Amino acid sequence: MTAVDIKPKPRRQSNRPMWDEEPSLVGKSVKALFLIAYAGAILVPLWAIVATSFASEDALSRAGGNLLLIPTDLSLAAYTEIFSGGALTDSLLLTIILTTGGTAFSMVLTVCGAYALSRTGSLLHRPILMLVLFTFLFGPGMYPSFLVVQKLGLFNDYLSLILPVALSAFNLIVLRAFFMNTIPGELLDAARIDGAGEFRILLTIVLPMSKAILAVVALFYAVGYWNIYFSAVLYTPGLETQPIQVVLQRMLMSTQGLPEGASATAQYQDQGEAAPTAALKMAVVVCTVIPIVIMYPFIQKHFTKAVITGAIKG
Amino acid sequence: MATLQSEAPPTTARTPNARIVKRKRSAAQRLRHDWPLLVLALPVIVQLALFFYWPSAWNIIAFMDYSPHRPFWENPFVGFAWFERLFNDPYFVPALLNTLKFAAAHLLFLFPLSVVLALVMHSVVSTKVRSTFQSIVYLPYFFSWVLVVTVFVQVLGADGLVSNWLMSLGGDRLTFTSNPDTFLVLAWMQWAWKDAGWGMIIFLAALASINPSLYEAAAVDGANRWRRMWHITLPGIRPVIILLLILQIGGILSVGFEQYQLQRNAIGYQATEVLDTYVYYRSVIGTEGASFGTAAGLFKGAIGLVLILAANKVAHRLGEQGIYQKS
Repeated sequence: MTAVDIKPKPRRQSNRPMWDEEPSLVGKSVKALFLIAYAGAILVPLWAIVATSFASEDALSRAGGNLLLIPTDLSLAAYTEIFSGGALTDSLLLTIILTTGGTAFSMVLTVCGAYALSRTGSLLHRPILMLVLFTFLFGPGMYPSFLVVQKLGLFNDYLSLILPVALSAFNLIVLRAFFMNTIPGELLDAARIDGAGEFRILLTIVLPMSKAILAVVALFYAVGYWNIYFSAVLYTPGLETQPIQVVLQRMLMSTQGLPEGASATAQYQDQGEAAPTAALKMAVVVCTVIPIVIMYPFIQKHFTKAVITGAIKG
Repeated sequence: MATLQSEAPPTTARTPNARIVKRKRSAAQRLRHDWPLLVLALPVIVQLALFFYWPSAWNIIAFMDYSPHRPFWENPFVGFAWFERLFNDPYFVPALLNTLKFAAAHLLFLFPLSVVLALVMHSVVSTKVRSTFQSIVYLPYFFSWVLVVTVFVQVLGADGLVSNWLMSLGGDRLTFTSNPDTFLVLAWMQWAWKDAGWGMIIFLAALASINPSLYEAAAVDGANRWRRMWHITLPGIRPVIILLLILQIGGILSVGFEQYQLQRNAIGYQATEVLDTYVYYRSVIGTEGASFGTAAGLFKGAIGLVLILAANKVAHRLGEQGIYQKS
């Protein structure tokens, strides 16, 4: 017993450096409250959406509203409807295809461009770089872009959701900075002396050394394609199967903000469909969020390392 | 963003011979040597030519009486007639003022909020707490506007979570998501929800690059928490603040399209009309023609270009790096 008493109390483990004074209790609690409130404002709605998507019609009407915090008698009806092969399934499939195809195309474009522009002093290097950098300063405008899509025959063509937005100059510059600053030039020079061509150097040396940042850039593109809404409104308004964001927006509009006197379900009655239930709407929301939440930890893990070092430090 | 700076010093250090060898070569020799790089750059050039430079060139129709039904060269030049018409349009000036209002609100509200969030997060010593909160706050940045608006309607709408809770307490339903008078507040909340995390991450990265021994030295010299923030932290993140300010000022007329278009039906067009939605509703799907819509877009693009160059110049004068350097 006595031995235990003599033992000195272990110091509380803290990362606080020696010279830093412990903040006051008030300061600490204000800070904690601020952070908890902020996180709560983000997490509670997301939780309510997930909870509602699993709720049965009865539970929802008993709660008398749009959202539930605690789901009672769980039901998978909303999800079976989404994946039952109807318009929603088509839309999800389309969005998945757009996202994978678009991301692959964007990556080829960006990687090739970034590598070509990482070789300073090559023929036409500066003019081409200027072509890319100028896109940061000016925007061609909505109508001219729309006209060009029409002239190219891409209006109401799914390709118009990929091609015009396929290149992000920002991603290209970030990747280029990585190629220039992180991959040792001696390695590339050695390969060149050994007779490797540029394509071979890119494929066998540069790409394998850049896996993490390539993944981050790809995920940024993927999130962009997954969230496509404006392009679809502008370029493909006439197509029957729309990206999931457009479908979600239509479902939302069907119950919110209609002009006075218009029936909330009119739009759907015209098509002989029932108005979407709250659970169905929320299930669609969950489906649009899930891929992002799955990709997110990865983006987060490498974001600071890859993009910030590339972008901010230049 | 800041990467544009990397142009300034050509990285010849990596290939020491490149410069010397280069000067001796003729264009034909360089072509023989560099053609694989040109091939690699070609897709990017084609993409930019088709979807950036070609539409940029189409801006010329802002000065023409353009009709798609006649050959291009038969469209007469009309000078600035479309711009005159634009400024006399009763819907244009309100849209422009709204755009400036939202841009200013974004700058004055979200910018400080991001800095404060970053400072608070930076002062949290526990790495576990820090990374958890960081992940949560940053997550909605990747959500689409459709999703954000849906979440807000579901939570703060007339039938939403908060309304129901207020009703059960005997209160009234909220009219928040359909009230034009409070739309600015709603927009603020949406930015705080969606975008603050992004700004926070950028500022946190800037904060992390400050040498901790500066803090230690200051603390040893008796500077308290606030003085350390004032004399070390804020000067430390000044370049990033200025960089983001320049970008914000350059994009002052580009407040986005989706957030406003998505809430147009619920709030009404008067409160939500910004330049982008104006071009879309008035011209792309509206009654005005291509020249009118192009003129409105060119106005926006030209102002943006001038502002970003001017802001950059001011930053240079103040001794900051800005977004690019003369090279």
